[in-house]
Amino acid sequence: MSALPWSPMAVELWLAAVIAILIWYDLTAAADDKPKIAILAIAGLLPVFPLAFAHPERSGAFCSGMYLLDPLARGFKAFFALTAILVIAMTREFARHITRGIGELYLLILTATFGMMMLASAGDFLMLFIALEIITLSFYVMTTYLRTDEKSVEAGMKYLILGALSTGFLLYGISFLYGYTGSTNFAALREAIARSPTLPPWPLLGFLLIVAGIGFKVAAVPFHWWAPDVYEGAPTPVTAFLSVGSKAAGFVVLLRLLHGVFEPASGVWMGLLVWIAGVTILYGNLVAMAQMNMKRLLAYSSIGHAGYLLIGIAAASGLGAAAVTYYLGGYLFTNLAAFLVVIAVFNATGSDDLTAYAGLSKRAPVLAAAMFVALLSLAGVPPLAGFVGKFLLLMAAVHRGLLWLAAIGAAAVVISLYYYLLIVKRMFVDPPADPTPIPVSRPVRWGLYGCMAGILAMGIWQQPFLALAVASVRSLFS
Amino acid sequence: MAITLAHYLVASGLLFTIGIVGVITRRNALMILLAIELMLNAANLSFVAFSRALGHVTGQLFVFFIMIVAAAEVTVGLAIIIVMAKTRGATDADALRSLKW
Repeated sequence: MSALPWSPMAVELWLAAVIAILIWYDLTAAADDKPKIAILAIAGLLPVFPLAFAHPERSGAFCSGMYLLDPLARGFKAFFALTAILVIAMTREFARHITRGIGELYLLILTATFGMMMLASAGDFLMLFIALEIITLSFYVMTTYLRTDEKSVEAGMKYLILGALSTGFLLYGISFLYGYTGSTNFAALREAIARSPTLPPWPLLGFLLIVAGIGFKVAAVPFHWWAPDVYEGAPTPVTAFLSVGSKAAGFVVLLRLLHGVFEPASGVWMGLLVWIAGVTILYGNLVAMAQMNMKRLLAYSSIGHAGYLLIGIAAASGLGAAAVTYYLGGYLFTNLAAFLVVIAVFNATGSDDLTAYAGLSKRAPVLAAAMFVALLSLAGVPPLAGFVGKFLLLMAAVHRGLLWLAAIGAAAVVISLYYYLLIVKRMFVDPPADPTPIPVSRPVRWGLYGCMAGILAMGIWQQPFLALAVASVRSLFS
Repeated sequence: MAITLAHYLVASGLLFTIGIVGVITRRNALMILLAIELMLNAANLSFVAFSRALGHVTGQLFVFFIMIVAAAEVTVGLAIIIVMAKTRGATDADALRSLKW
């Protein structure tokens, strides 16, 4: 294999080729053949895993520092590929609600994934900006995909306005950093910031604007208002992709920026991040209690989870960074399992309301069991993935002496258990309004089994996953 | 009076503020999109000004990419506004009320 020419961008080049071929296929194939793009796209994503981890010795910065290929980038490329595969499988289940252009929807999932992979490797603000825009532009279209549905169009409009606004903040912030340091390259910026770790006003303003811009993407309070509306209105697979892929992309950027570029100035931003994390956790979990729509509830819970992840960022330590990656890994399986059930229930009942889940255990035991495990993992109950992730995050906070932040995190677990268990009660205790069994298709069943296996594995055999998480963030601190 | 970096930065700051105020106060989706474009152009102006003051072209390069991406964003944005006008018969942001808690 080593004799073959190899590019550091092998993953992106491969994916670009797959996208180009599928665009051609979508243009030329007969209408009946277009749903096959899903299978082709999944097949196209599979080689990403070996490609992402190929030639571990050839890591480093490429293209004059624009493109980084380090363990963090490699790990997250695999993460995004796995997310995309599951989302495409979900989209196949949801496809019956999309009247036109199902082929393009799969293509947009791939382009967003492509952007996420570039983002994981960004070593320069120019690259970061373009990768981020590839992702959000794909998401604008995907969110609006149910063109005749008022909710979907409204979600798309809101996402567009707030997304473009956050881009404005981000760019304005980058321009100040550029003006201060004369560079947009992460390595050069880090050196410049290390020389003045107290951040003079100009770069500080730039830094705050950049954090605001990324804060929008990860839906951290006070930049969260778009999330509930967009999550509720968007087609469910897109919501799932937003809640896992887009959020993870935002956290890769935060890891790179705060634990990398701005690490020398951590004294300046730690306090700020601690506040944002605490408020985000409380807000997300408290408002989630009042929700009656499943997608909206999961949106608020995902705001709460962004808060938990921010604990790891705020801790500004290797343990914090490793905890963030571990938590994201568990969150992938957990959230995608929950959204798979949401799609299956929506297909059968035509509703996302919590009332549609009444007596689910009698109508479809597999769905109810999967939702049960996913909700407990989201809440952080042992021995599931969510517990280990939360435990690591809180441990990182305690190590840094952020005791009250850890206390908020622990208290929010109890709050979240309350509303998650209310759903469990609906599913297992309440009588179903309509007792007809819900058919569970084979892909849904296998997708759920896969996610369950992931949740349990990450909860019980922590060691290999933790080693992976630690290895992936090590390069940030070298 | 010579025009210095500070003048450009004040102009770009004003543009950015006008953009934010526009996003907040305007009710028409098209006008909001225009206001956001103003914010992006404020960033462009400060990039070019810094680029000139620093004497290298990285900033100007950045501006080209911003312009291209902004054009793409507007394309998608206008498409969404057209869809919105079709489903609701209005491009008013106040019409966006079916999603709330």
